Amino acid sequence: MVAVVVVGQLVLVARGYWSDHKEFAFQMFPEASTWRADVVRVTAGGERIPVSKPWAGYRWSDMVATRGLRYPDVRHHADAGVDNQLAFLDAALDWVATHTPRDRETVYLEATVTYWYNDDDPRVVVLRSQDRS
Amino acid sequence: MPGAPVTDVDPEAGRAGPDRPRRSGLPGMLDRFDELLGRPVNLRALVVLRMLIGPVVVLHLWPFLSDALDGRIYRDGFYEPYASWYPELPRAVYIGLLWLAAAAAVAMTLGLFVRVATAVTFAVVAYNLLLSTTHVHSNRAYLVIVLGILTMAGGPRTEVGPAWPLWLLRFEASIVYAASGFSKLVDPDWFGGTVTWLRTVHVRDELARSPVPGSVQRLLLERGFHTGAAKVIVLTELFIAVALWWRGTRYLAAWLAVCFHIAIQATASVEVFSYLAIAALVVWAVPSTRDRIVVIDPADPGHRRFAALIRWGDLLDRFRVVQVRPSPADVGPGRDGQDPADERPRLYVIDRDGTRLEGSAAAVLVLSRLPLTAWFALPLRRWR
Repeated sequence: MVAVVVVGQLVLVARGYWSDHKEFAFQMFPEASTWRADVVRVTAGGERIPVSKPWAGYRWSDMVATRGLRYPDVRHHADAGVDNQLAFLDAALDWVATHTPRDRETVYLEATVTYWYNDDDPRVVVLRSQDRS
Repeated sequence: MPGAPVTDVDPEAGRAGPDRPRRSGLPGMLDRFDELLGRPVNLRALVVLRMLIGPVVVLHLWPFLSDALDGRIYRDGFYEPYASWYPELPRAVYIGLLWLAAAAAVAMTLGLFVRVATAVTFAVVAYNLLLSTTHVHSNRAYLVIVLGILTMAGGPRTEVGPAWPLWLLRFEASIVYAASGFSKLVDPDWFGGTVTWLRTVHVRDELARSPVPGSVQRLLLERGFHTGAAKVIVLTELFIAVALWWRGTRYLAAWLAVCFHIAIQATASVEVFSYLAIAALVVWAVPSTRDRIVVIDPADPGHRRFAALIRWGDLLDRFRVVQVRPSPADVGPGRDGQDPADERPRLYVIDRDGTRLEGSAAAVLVLSRLPLTAWFALPLRRWR
């Protein structure tokens, strides 16, 4: 049992060097990176509507209130690193896309993320939710 | 604890195992490892750790309970299950389990139904942690590990048991510092100071509003300061991870660890990490009890107060207080014409190795070995 726990812990520590969320890897305060994102709903008509505007009785800030995702358009510290933050945002887009049944117009959600890895120049990535159908 | 054995085996003393042929090579190493883990030791540190962890668990659960009181649980907003098959409970059952875990954590601290309370606390905290990737933070992961090992160790039917839970907790306590320090050591941005400097720059507005003196603020915002400071932070973490394993450096490492956690608590939001990590330092106490003797004179009110302090603060049960009314011969000849019987008898301590310390040196030794006063008294002992 002891050997299993020790080996398991060492594997999880090593896994922290390639996984997004680094569970049980104890990499504390890994980066000083920051990020912000423009998150929009894309409708069937091609409209791109910021999620900062409530829609169909939904409010992004109520639905995604965790892990620093509540106000994505404000530049934030990437709490546990950029990879971790992007993975959470990506998952949040999917969650919102699949948990807003009253919304009849959105086809998918999209986030244009600008991030600054420590003091590197800004980089931009686009994340997209699964299609709502 | 009155009546507890004083002859507990020290797992770090390198005692030979029972008489049996010693094997050489890898099998021999495995035998020695096995013997080390199974060696009976005093598990008082686990009792103390359980007691300290209870409030940490309540503090950890509080945000979930607070949300529940406001009518919200995790699945009312974004969350991300690790696996689709992971069971999700009806709302009322989930909230009930959170309250049950809080009650079990209190029972752990009070020493009530300890085995069941620890197991329930572990099960609920672990279940809740693994409900969503968004629940996982390093401090919560560490809490689950500690609770898991305490659960596996069982309850305090007797305070003497196999050493493996202590070794496992020590390994985990050490790996937290080692993994954190190593990840920073191999990251040029961290070891070079970029990360700490940028973090400070990002919070300069809060810093400006803080009571930190202007000269210190300017220093903290200097890029060059962080070139050195980051290395100190990284090497401190690695030093703690390694130095806790050796008795010669353990007290320094534990003292530094407390300083380190106080600094982190003051400058960052780390949930229960500081409390948990400081509480977990008790597992580094040598697992033997009542092997230091404090001799007091029951007629001396100061000695009686000191004995009361020991009874109150000796959570790890390290001291045996012996009351001895000294004879004039023990006190020694009077000075300046004083009657020997009038001279104030001296409190003394016989340490584990037989060393006898008297007066303030004895008091400092005692205070440096009590969990709640050790951090203050250790520098005094070093200074003396």
